[in-house]
Amino acid sequence: MQPTRRELFSWVAASGITLGLSRLSPAIALPFEASQTLPGRADAPRIGRARIDGIAKVTGAKLYASDFRAADMEGWPTATAHALLVRARDASHVFAGLNLDALPATAQPTKVVGAADVAASALRAPPFYAGDLFCPIGQTPLYLGQPVALLLFTDFDAYDRARIAFREDSALVRFGAETGPRTGPNYAALRFTRIAGPTPEAPDIYSPLQEGWISPGFTEGGGRPIWKPLPTAQGGDYARGATYGEEIRALLAADTPDLLVLKRDFQTQSVDPMFLEPEAGLGWYEEGAGALHLVLGVQSPFEAAEALDYMLAQAPATLRPKRLDLDFASLGGGFGGRDHTPFPLYVGLAALFLPGRPIRLAHDRFQQFQGGVKRHAFDMRSQIGVDRATGRITAFAADHVLDGGGLANYSASVAVVGATAATGIYDIPKVDVTTVAEHTRGVTAGSMRGYGTLQTMTAIETLIDEAATTLKIDPIDLRRRNLLTAGGRTMTGNPWTVSVRTPEILDKLEAHPIWRDRAAKKAAAAPGVRVGTGVACCTKDYGTGADCSLGRVEIGPDGRVTLQADAVEMGNGIGTAIARRVAAILGQSADAVTVARIDMYDALGLVTSGDPYAMTQAEQDAAAKDPRWVPAISSATSASIGAHVSTQAPAQAARIIFRFGLWPAALDLWGIKAGDPREFLAEEAFWQDGFLIMSGLPPLAQTAIAARAHALKGITGAMAHAFSRWAWAQAAFPLGGLDWAADIDALAVRYGDEPFKVIDRSFVFFPPTAYNRIGTAFTSSCGTAVRVEISVPGGAIRIVQAYSVFECGEVLVPELVEGQAQGGFAMGVGYALLESLPPFEDGPGNGQWNLGDYVVARASDVPLHHLQIEVLPPVSPREPPKGMAEVVMIPVVPALLNAIYDATGHRFQSLPVTPAMLRKVIA
Amino acid sequence: MTALSLTINGTPFGPIEVRDDLSMNDFLREVLGMTGTKFGCGAAQCLSCVVIVDDPAGSSATRPTCVMPAVSFNGAHIRTVEGHARAGQLTALQKAFVAHYAFQCGYCTAGFLNEAQVLLERLEAAPIPRAGLEQAILDALDGHLCRCSGYVRYHEAVRDVVLAEPARYLL
Amino acid sequence: MMILLRLPSLIASTGAAALAAGLLMALMAPAPVSNAASEGLAPPASFDSIKDPATRSAALFTELGRVLTSPRCVNCHPVGDRPLQGDSQRLHQPPVYRGADGKGLAALRCSACHQAANYDPARMPGHDPWFLAPREMAFEGRTVAQLCAQIKNPATNGGRSLADLVHHIGDDSLVGWGWAPGPGRTPAPGTQKEAKALAQAWVDTGAACPVD
Repeated sequence: MQPTRRELFSWVAASGITLGLSRLSPAIALPFEASQTLPGRADAPRIGRARIDGIAKVTGAKLYASDFRAADMEGWPTATAHALLVRARDASHVFAGLNLDALPATAQPTKVVGAADVAASALRAPPFYAGDLFCPIGQTPLYLGQPVALLLFTDFDAYDRARIAFREDSALVRFGAETGPRTGPNYAALRFTRIAGPTPEAPDIYSPLQEGWISPGFTEGGGRPIWKPLPTAQGGDYARGATYGEEIRALLAADTPDLLVLKRDFQTQSVDPMFLEPEAGLGWYEEGAGALHLVLGVQSPFEAAEALDYMLAQAPATLRPKRLDLDFASLGGGFGGRDHTPFPLYVGLAALFLPGRPIRLAHDRFQQFQGGVKRHAFDMRSQIGVDRATGRITAFAADHVLDGGGLANYSASVAVVGATAATGIYDIPKVDVTTVAEHTRGVTAGSMRGYGTLQTMTAIETLIDEAATTLKIDPIDLRRRNLLTAGGRTMTGNPWTVSVRTPEILDKLEAHPIWRDRAAKKAAAAPGVRVGTGVACCTKDYGTGADCSLGRVEIGPDGRVTLQADAVEMGNGIGTAIARRVAAILGQSADAVTVARIDMYDALGLVTSGDPYAMTQAEQDAAAKDPRWVPAISSATSASIGAHVSTQAPAQAARIIFRFGLWPAALDLWGIKAGDPREFLAEEAFWQDGFLIMSGLPPLAQTAIAARAHALKGITGAMAHAFSRWAWAQAAFPLGGLDWAADIDALAVRYGDEPFKVIDRSFVFFPPTAYNRIGTAFTSSCGTAVRVEISVPGGAIRIVQAYSVFECGEVLVPELVEGQAQGGFAMGVGYALLESLPPFEDGPGNGQWNLGDYVVARASDVPLHHLQIEVLPPVSPREPPKGMAEVVMIPVVPALLNAIYDATGHRFQSLPVTPAMLRKVIA
Repeated sequence: MTALSLTINGTPFGPIEVRDDLSMNDFLREVLGMTGTKFGCGAAQCLSCVVIVDDPAGSSATRPTCVMPAVSFNGAHIRTVEGHARAGQLTALQKAFVAHYAFQCGYCTAGFLNEAQVLLERLEAAPIPRAGLEQAILDALDGHLCRCSGYVRYHEAVRDVVLAEPARYLL
Repeated sequence: MMILLRLPSLIASTGAAALAAGLLMALMAPAPVSNAASEGLAPPASFDSIKDPATRSAALFTELGRVLTSPRCVNCHPVGDRPLQGDSQRLHQPPVYRGADGKGLAALRCSACHQAANYDPARMPGHDPWFLAPREMAFEGRTVAQLCAQIKNPATNGGRSLADLVHHIGDDSLVGWGWAPGPGRTPAPGTQKEAKALAQAWVDTGAACPVD
């Protein structure tokens, strides 16, 4: 790839020298969309069944937000300015402003934007990011890494010098009087208590599903919630639940000889998602047109648009853009860390305050550590009571404290998901879990793969292992005796509504040579080596309880398929998965797939109102009368929803094209007339090598069918919206004389080559709002077995063999599924053994962290050639895809801890377990 | 400022006046707009930014561009991810990366591709026994961080390229 | 030559740390990544009050030992095959190994990253050549007394005479890098010249070793 002509102009502008450059062939900036539309007609034949972005990624094509400069953007000015986001590395002293006089003249910014500028322009932090966009002068920063100023440079060299100067010289950001850290209210405090009825069939005596979720509402002086039920008229709902909770605690505290009670603390560390592409964005405020153009890379494009809109909404008309023109690029990794990130706000501010000039904001790695969203550190105390005679868990209680860092972000949600996962794969009749997410001066914590469950399921899976050892029951047997099976109730009181495969997974683990040969391998350990084996089995929800999918599918008269979807490509291969699911319906793989598109569905005319998580049933019923209303429009690519949710709208759109476009065309080609019984056998036809096969009839070429569909003005395009609240919204649409029911809630179609036209739904059913009390309904499970070798006395640990077995319903793209499991394994290894960020002043907020100190798993840390992945086949050919990209990481961590116990006889109760820690216990 | 001349993927560039402490990574990405070479850590710890430097004596090695001034590449012949495929033909290694689903987000791919290409060329010049292949691949690639893939498929892809032509790479 | 990043406040705070052959590079002082202040070395004359020559010699070595045990020296005199890195002295990232010549495996040579001079914008140290001390010259985990015994022994000091040692410590430019490691690393205490003076005085007083 040659440098583009415009890039060179920008360089000329900077240096005034034009030597030797005229030979370069000029290139023209392409529409941004072209860069994100894959595989593209030229590469489609070469891609075959590989990733649609495969060729782009091995040839260095511009794909990520960090790849784009002004010169790459069609219609933009050519020169790129650069922005530097300066953050606080102190949150205990008053911010006293910048010391720009100490910057050399060659590193001076063109413009400095701070709290005062934002206030003067009435720019607001969106509620999700409540807290100052910039720390005002005279205040103590709310958290380490809080932005204090945005420096704008028209010249790259000045920007580059300033970037390094701010990293090396803490005196450039001045601080005054010591105030100590700022305090803030907790982000959430909740209690989940369930008392099962006397039999599995009997209704629960108390459950969150029945009674609603409860929060204590009272805090002591230090801000901690008061969990005990207080004798007060207020908070009656809380007192009722808490009284049951305290009964469970009393049961566990009673010294009952037939009950084994283990009380254990467990601490998990803060870690960084460490996606490899640091956050970056490009902006241009085109003043004349009043358009703010941004190129962004986030998991949550719709949310980014809404957040920017909110930030700008109250600005004076002279400043407020008339239009937001947002382009969303592929991500160099996400893992949750780019779901609801405030970064786009600062890209927008950079552009807004340097009008007329394209400007780039890009983190370097130090800055990404300093400002990027982190995984919550958990402090957990768990109590488990196991009946010694039966090995049945009779009661479980836990108290979780999360370090939420400086901004609320997803803290409340992570606390809930972590708490409701605390019982893991088990059926426990009495459960009481409290959780509180605290504000601290640490770097903001938010979404990351595993999302609270990684922490709490590590705790339960090591606890169960210890219970097994103590009771001298085989660990797999003990798990089996306590499994929550299909139809049983989770700790929120609802059952899982999908297949539950943990029994098979335990069978697989038990039969695997890693587990079977554990004693022999231990006995055969070489001198100076401790050998240990561990297993764990976990389950992870997929979906958030308010998940959306937007998809648009078109088929041309030549049979070519074009796809657009709102899901984001962050490495998960979502574009490939959508293409695969649609190809099975339309007979040809799309050669033009564009993901992260949230603006292609105007014809649907969607409207929304209210909060899908908080609305009442009456509000939902009233709103649903508007045929354009949906509970939410677009959601983040997160929560393992790729296969299950993100492919849904495109797949349903494709089904409609097939049924009302291709199928009538095929009938026409076959000469089957209306009234022929074969008219309604569409479901029995299938595609093979580009031909539609129907027994007893000649195969039809897909291209011929598509041409005929166009000629007959059948449906050749469809766009759809789908919504899931632990069940799909369902609607019916008048199509082809039928009332066509599907798991979508909005539809527009195109006949022949006409424009898209919305179809009013004739019936709609939205999942009841009471489903919001469900903790988890969609879940998939994974088991892991590992064998480790620990060298004595050094403490170096090596994973010599590993096996992960899991289930995910229909496997859309086996290589993607297996790749997620391999990647999840490595990330689990990092979390268990390597990665750690200290809180506060020595942590990443100080701007001095990079990958030398923060060690993630390398190839040499994983058993490259001894990691076996097994995916259980779906329970039926029609089982839909289930999310699996998170669960594959989780059991890796407790399995390693259990193996370390087996090798050393020591149970570590904090992460990561380092060689230094191992040395101490094997000495 | 120094006048920098170098050859990238066979095309001579320069002389171009560049700031003496401008990194090679910024030269490629900001000055030339060649963003196939990535920026990951800026500290030579992830190696996503490596390019291949071809020695006049015929040997080649990778260099992380984020920790070196552009001017230190004066006179150098380098290869970047953009230059592997010729006339639209992917190399065996590129094809293997694609076919194996070796990468996910792809941000580390340019670095892995360059490193593995150098390994292949080193093996071609000095073949090794089959038994040492996996270790040789590990030695070559272990410096490269990938957060998505767990590395397995990258290593399998490289191994398959070697095993497809054992006479070329192995003793 | 352009010196683009002068940060007077920082330069003042670290004293006149001599730069190695850091041509073309920014002149910058270490970032405050370590609390270990780099205080100067005591001059040999300050030990004159110790009358017993052996005791004085041992005291001189103990002072020199502040240099030898600094991360700048120990990190490239590791016990294992991997160098250490940073003031925290963790294992080097990315993983590199000494290889046959102490300059890395074929797959990742030291010189792939460490060029002729520091590159301060990336905190990348440089010197030509850049290599690990041989395994028998490991400093990692040694007490000052153990180091003294080791350093005097030609079998564990690279076959050096005492005069060679003074020269190595006092004049070797790779050793000298330890006093000009660039930003993000605390320099070895004092200056190379001061260290040489201590080493010479130690030799002149009989090269006695301290006792732990």
